[in-house]
Amino acid sequence: MATKQLVTKVWIDPGCIICDACETTAPSVFEVQHENDTCIIRPAALDAEFTKPLSKDIVEAAEECPVDVIKFDTIEVEVSDAEAAADAAKKPAAGAAGAAAGDAPAKLDPPKPKEVDPAIQALLEATTVRGGNVVLDRGLEDMPDSVKRMAKLSPTELPPDARQAKVLDKAKPDKKDADGPSRRDLLGAGALGAGWLAMATVGGVSTLAFARFMAPNVLEVEDPKVRCGPLSKYSAMATGEVNEDFKPVKPSGFWIIRQEDRIAALSIICTHLGCIPSWLPNDRKFKCPCHGSGFKENGVNFEGPAPRPLERFKIYLDGDEVIVDRSKKILAMGPNDTAKWNDPEAYIPV
Amino acid sequence: MLKQAIMNGLNTLVLAAASDGGLGGAIKDLLNRASVPQIFVPLMAIGLIVALLTYRVWTKPKIAGLLGLGFIGFYLWSATDENFFKIIVKPDNVPITIMLTAMAIVTWVAFRQAAINDRRIERGEPLIESGADDKVLVWPDLVYTEMICLVLCTIALVVWAILLKAPLEPAANPTNIPNPSKAPWYFLGLQELLVYFDPWIAGVLLPGFIILGLVALPYIDKNPRGNGYYTFSQRKMVIWVFMFGWIILWVALIVLGTFLRGPNWNIFGPYETWDAHRPAALLNVNVSDLFWVVLPEKTGLWNPGLPKEPMWGLPTWLVREGPGLMVLGAYFFILPVVLAKSVCAKLYKDLGLIRYAVFWLLMSWMILVPIKMVLRWLFNLKYFVAITEYFFNI
Repeated sequence: MATKQLVTKVWIDPGCIICDACETTAPSVFEVQHENDTCIIRPAALDAEFTKPLSKDIVEAAEECPVDVIKFDTIEVEVSDAEAAADAAKKPAAGAAGAAAGDAPAKLDPPKPKEVDPAIQALLEATTVRGGNVVLDRGLEDMPDSVKRMAKLSPTELPPDARQAKVLDKAKPDKKDADGPSRRDLLGAGALGAGWLAMATVGGVSTLAFARFMAPNVLEVEDPKVRCGPLSKYSAMATGEVNEDFKPVKPSGFWIIRQEDRIAALSIICTHLGCIPSWLPNDRKFKCPCHGSGFKENGVNFEGPAPRPLERFKIYLDGDEVIVDRSKKILAMGPNDTAKWNDPEAYIPV
Repeated sequence: MLKQAIMNGLNTLVLAAASDGGLGGAIKDLLNRASVPQIFVPLMAIGLIVALLTYRVWTKPKIAGLLGLGFIGFYLWSATDENFFKIIVKPDNVPITIMLTAMAIVTWVAFRQAAINDRRIERGEPLIESGADDKVLVWPDLVYTEMICLVLCTIALVVWAILLKAPLEPAANPTNIPNPSKAPWYFLGLQELLVYFDPWIAGVLLPGFIILGLVALPYIDKNPRGNGYYTFSQRKMVIWVFMFGWIILWVALIVLGTFLRGPNWNIFGPYETWDAHRPAALLNVNVSDLFWVVLPEKTGLWNPGLPKEPMWGLPTWLVREGPGLMVLGAYFFILPVVLAKSVCAKLYKDLGLIRYAVFWLLMSWMILVPIKMVLRWLFNLKYFVAITEYFFNI
């Protein structure tokens, strides 16, 4: 009795180059998924009963596979001589010679070297792989006409051998090393570098933020108390005179004014919108350059939009030295609300 | 040599214009006197009224051209004045000249079209816009126009940037404050409002109402006439209101702030020297002062003096500001009702309650601005309501 091999299980080892060859030969078994860069066995073909009738195609596809990653298990079954003879007759003439003999078992032949059209061979020699693409390296001028003709064809139009040859060329494992890093490698390295940089940045900034968070939460402010020198300096001023020495003191300056029986400290901030008025000695008034508010020499608002008199700061004597304490304000709510200025904190009697 | 000759000529011209009395001096003197706001703003208002009443006359191209030439001539003649020249060549103020010109041109274009259309409507002829095929091809018409505009604007900006220095000032220093301290030219109208109102009104409420009012306009005024074509006769009221708000309350106040406000925010004529030491005394009073102090002093009905203690179970500030609150309450809440029953009955019927209320809310504030200004200028009125305790002054 003659025997023949039937495929019970087929699988694909790693290394597939997605070349479409197997799917062309056995489309019901193999599916090349270009979008996923992979080739799979169709789910139906995972069943032994499905693959057995297709054994011949599967074996042929495995032979054709340029990188030999298609693997299969077989069982040997007995067949009648007549059947074996019919099988053998169906085989193409290029098949194994032994298969024609009815007495010999229909053993699977090892893959044999392909015969390559010499014109294609020439074309292949004229090409090289650069950056993953097959390109013609040299000019076509001194090539034979068949090469020129072939060069015009797209890979899908080329005869199967040429396609296979190109695929083989593309699949050379050392092509990257030969031509330096590919674009994909560079992009990958760049993305990786950018990722690390971003991580380092986030880490650095959050470390700084954490350090700031752990630092004591102190607001640096100027001392609200300003030492203004001996009282005699101010008691010597004429009534109605204004001392502007402390106008530039930060964060809020003040004028020291001399009235008939006292000295007091006026804030320089206009009560309308916070501009800084100027002291006009000839007019005996403070006048705001922004909206024209005017204040008399004692700080009472009398013209323009300012709703309240200039604010006063607490003022007191430390020994003989005049101290102005800007942390305490004495507010008058209107030109007629000046009784608060008689608060002992609001003035120093002279 | 040539340059020096031109400079000499200019100098002579400036000196002659500045020093001599003569006709020029008399005109300048007159304009200086007319530039106090109580005359300047009413003059602008009268000018606007006359312009709107005679819009069919001055929109004729020849008359408009003559007026334009007259204005340019007047402006150039003014520029020979030393003080006026100083104002207009300040880098911050250069755009004012551009704005005045641009304002005149766009106003003229709009009213010219409106005048033509109004005449056609009277005669029953088709409008300018009817039958006009205003479809324009993006390429090349629109794209080319845009590209030419872009190139011209870029050139103008580059030349401007090269010729004039940016009006930047040194770092803030409390001992050396610019006097006057002026906002950028486009904010000078708002800065002028700050002279009469609290910051929260002049800086927040009124600008907010301008934006709100412009947004609300299509909902308040649903009159379809004037949609898609120029007309004045069919939209008299809205155009009057808009022109008043725009020309008087925006442009005129910018001009006032630019040309007439000098050191210490005092009023100076456009040809006057800015003298920081010129005395200008005002004594502003609130309505509460008028009611509690001035009125009893004049009539002897009750003892003069602001209330200092709570009365009738009401806090002091409420008693003190009661008269002002009543005046404002009547203005904001009773006046619209009275108007709805009398003069504006038809408007009320057209608009309905809600739209009428929104309309009068916006109008009340818009009209309050000139009222307050006039009262300040004529009677030194500071605030209707001065609740300084809560920074609520109107």
